[in-house]
Amino acid sequence: MSPGSSATLTKDAAAFRWEDMVGNSRLLDIRDLVTRFYTEDGVVRAVDGNSLHLDAGETLGIVGESGSGKTVTALSIMGLIENPGRIDSGSILFRGEELLDKTPQEMQEVRGRDIAMVFQDPMNSLNPTLTVGEQVDRVLRFHTSLAREKRKRRIVELLQQVEIPEPAKRVGNYPHQLSGGMRQRVLIAMAMSCNPTVLILDEPTTALDVTIEAQIFELVDKLKTHFGMGIILITHDLAVVANSADRVVVMYAGRIVEEAPVIDLYEDPLHPYTRGLLNSIPQLDQERQERLPSIPGEVPELITLPEGCNFSPRCKYAVEKCMHDDPPLVSVAPGRKVACWKVGELIE
Amino acid sequence: MSTPDVAVHPSDVITPTVKKHRGLLEEVWHNFRKNRLSLTGGVIVVMAIIIAVFAPLLAPYNPVEQFSAPLGQHHPLPPLSRSEEGTLFLLGSDKFGRDILSRAFYGCRTLLQLATGSITIAFALGVLMGGVAGYRKGSWVDELIMRIVDIMLSFPSLVLAIALVGAFGIGRTQIGPFSLSNMFKIAIVIAITYSPAFARVMRGVVLQETAEDYVDAAKMSGGSGWQILAGEIFVNTIPPLIVQASLNMATTVLTSASLSFLGLGLQPPRPSLGIMLNEARDYLFGGAWWYALVPGTFILLIILGFNLLGDGLRDSLDPRQARRTRL
Amino acid sequence: MGVYLFKRLMLAVPTLLGASVIIFLLIHIAPGDPVRVMLGPMDDPALRAKLVRQLGLDLPLHEQYLRWLGKALQGDLGISVTIQRGSPVLELLTQRYAITLELAFLSIIVALLIAVPAGITSALRQNRLSDHVSRIVAMVGVSVPNFFLGIMLILIIGVFLHQAWATGGFVPLKTSVRENLIRMLLPAVALGTAYSALLMRMLRSSMLDVMSQDYVRTARAMGIGWPSIIRQDVVKNALIPVTTVFGNSIGYLLGGSIVTETIFRLPGVGRLIIIGVDRRDYPVIQGIVLTIVLIRIVVNLSVDILYSVIDPRIRYGAEGE
Repeated sequence: MSPGSSATLTKDAAAFRWEDMVGNSRLLDIRDLVTRFYTEDGVVRAVDGNSLHLDAGETLGIVGESGSGKTVTALSIMGLIENPGRIDSGSILFRGEELLDKTPQEMQEVRGRDIAMVFQDPMNSLNPTLTVGEQVDRVLRFHTSLAREKRKRRIVELLQQVEIPEPAKRVGNYPHQLSGGMRQRVLIAMAMSCNPTVLILDEPTTALDVTIEAQIFELVDKLKTHFGMGIILITHDLAVVANSADRVVVMYAGRIVEEAPVIDLYEDPLHPYTRGLLNSIPQLDQERQERLPSIPGEVPELITLPEGCNFSPRCKYAVEKCMHDDPPLVSVAPGRKVACWKVGELIE
Repeated sequence: MSTPDVAVHPSDVITPTVKKHRGLLEEVWHNFRKNRLSLTGGVIVVMAIIIAVFAPLLAPYNPVEQFSAPLGQHHPLPPLSRSEEGTLFLLGSDKFGRDILSRAFYGCRTLLQLATGSITIAFALGVLMGGVAGYRKGSWVDELIMRIVDIMLSFPSLVLAIALVGAFGIGRTQIGPFSLSNMFKIAIVIAITYSPAFARVMRGVVLQETAEDYVDAAKMSGGSGWQILAGEIFVNTIPPLIVQASLNMATTVLTSASLSFLGLGLQPPRPSLGIMLNEARDYLFGGAWWYALVPGTFILLIILGFNLLGDGLRDSLDPRQARRTRL
Repeated sequence: MGVYLFKRLMLAVPTLLGASVIIFLLIHIAPGDPVRVMLGPMDDPALRAKLVRQLGLDLPLHEQYLRWLGKALQGDLGISVTIQRGSPVLELLTQRYAITLELAFLSIIVALLIAVPAGITSALRQNRLSDHVSRIVAMVGVSVPNFFLGIMLILIIGVFLHQAWATGGFVPLKTSVRENLIRMLLPAVALGTAYSALLMRMLRSSMLDVMSQDYVRTARAMGIGWPSIIRQDVVKNALIPVTTVFGNSIGYLLGGSIVTETIFRLPGVGRLIIIGVDRRDYPVIQGIVLTIVLIRIVVNLSVDILYSVIDPRIRYGAEGE
């Protein structure tokens, strides 16, 4: 995998990438992460002891409903958890380095340069009083030592990479002069500007329509292959994950309930929640008289989690044990993990 | 530079699951109670109202009664001194030997009377104008009313008030069969000055509400225009109007006091905080600090009370604001 | 942007005209006979007839209005009838406006000097002690009547600290810049304090608003440092709504100067209007109110221009894809 035309950019770009390919290709290794928010109304257990990992060249999908803790996981990685939130315990290893030991100043350097994130709603995510060019320039100025001319060229190159038409002209535009899809591309360009190792996309296309969505994912995939990055894709949309992810992690009420390669997950979901989710997707070949099955009940509030398995109140397979003991996430096959007491019975 | 605390707010990531469910009124009251500043404001306002209403009972002496100074001394006398007749001037006496505390209480009374009267008229006028304009949005009525509102808003409030007082004259006047007291005239002047603000708020709220579905529903069920306006819409317009009223009380009090101070408001010997402050100017260099401090502080506290109250109400009704400004 | 400004201009003109109608009618709302009031003890038929003709009071109402408006547009605001008999109102006003405008200008400076740092730091240290303290101080500042503050300042600095200049009075700049400014200090503080409290609260509120915006989050995620974020994302965007409040301030300042000039014995326009009301000099009153409204409308328009320059969304309009 070639590092791409921008290898001369950051001083260590070429060197580190090669080492990455040869040596340890595990980009992110998260162990037992616990992130809580201490609010006036109670303690919110947003991330409740989760472990996951990301390797170079793969796209990891994190799936879950809103409130399941997916975004907080991403923010924890980025070091963007602030009062009243706190990362209480756990470890986040980025290329072997412990992120939680870093000072805020060090994390600031990591953000944008090594790990970048693109958020959900592009409409307001750009400063309305700065031009597109100025905003990308800022990122470059902060993380690189490129001279002005080189930065200008790099900006146009980036806009081209994200397939924005007439990039040289767009550099002087203000965000309100761009459509939602274009703004999202600008944000991706900003995120990519320093060739990050890890790119986190949080619901990147929820606010965009379906055709644009397809284009964005194609683009991101291209960039991933080209630069050898690892991508974390956070979404509630199962179709998106099916198309773009290599591996999937399913979260419910702050915990990971299942982890599997994407095809396995769709063909043979193990956790009752995952099954429920997949069953509720309308199929083209379904009989029209059948009602769409939905999971009864509601997602619990993260302040008042039920005793035992978080999903037990809504689970049709639940027994006594499920109500009292929290099932741990265990490996049931290579690359497959499930957190459910009944998993033995469910593997048919 | 230390990092500010607002990078990512938990509600942004945790929404809707965290909020407990409460009824709207309960929610408002809960928010209000938690805000210490607005509670203080409420307490101040209540105290001011009590003083105003019960002034005849609370004031130690008759506010217009003049007492003689002891031999060798002259008015104004400092706080805690006594008159020849033995009256104790808790907060001192004014230039005519009247008890400042009593005058302040009565002054508070007149000020609140005036302010409340003005606000009520302004409220009624404004709500009427704004309501009609909003309901008939786009028509010539709407345009006309909003033009008038714009024109009136182009006058700074004190300037307009002064000009109107100048035009109407000071003191009792006869207009046809009506004999208007000075106070009433001033109330009308101030009301005219502040009604545009109410009109704007009312219109805005009406526009918002008429876009709601329940209005269409009411229309379809056969209610006539006026019924709909009065019934459904009005109930929902009350909160922002109350906030506006409370905030405007503060400025109305300020304008009333300013007018009195300038001699264009209530006339002596009627006890008025603004006039007392004006009288005090001549005695500053004589060292009579209490003469200015007492009425001024009363005015300040009343205005402060209404400001805190209005702010608190506004924050309680808009939870997003409250999150940021809660103490 | 041109379209936007043109529309604003088109709105301003009828407003100004409407205001002029009201101002014109002031004389006629007055109870009693204005002529008798103006002439006072010198009321005799000949003088009366002369005054009536001079003021055009014998013409039908709308003609009077047009006549008055026409003259006003040419700069003729009438002749003072009681204050300085025979002097053109415009002349009287120009002398005094210089003083009032200087006061307003100095008050704005005082206000900005306090409000901008206070507002910014208050927003950044939200909910810490210094924030609470400054918010309470701001609340009190907004609630203090400017005449009370002025009197207290005179009391403390003039009486207790024996500074003679504290009582105000006016010394022309030509005579002595130092004397002029030092006498304007307390009036500017008295007038500017409430204004600064207002600005500070607005700025703080605006900054908090902006800080919770998505683009601040983006900048943070890209690893941009706080100083740069405060400068380019927060303050830059927070100032936009504040400029509109700024524009409205001229109304408050002109109104407040009435009281401030009275207390500090400054011969400005504010003081003049009180004298005018006292002596029933209607041309003066009308002239002052008319010019105040004119200034206010012009300032508002200028603020709109400024606003459109600052906010690219208005300058360029939305082009979309």
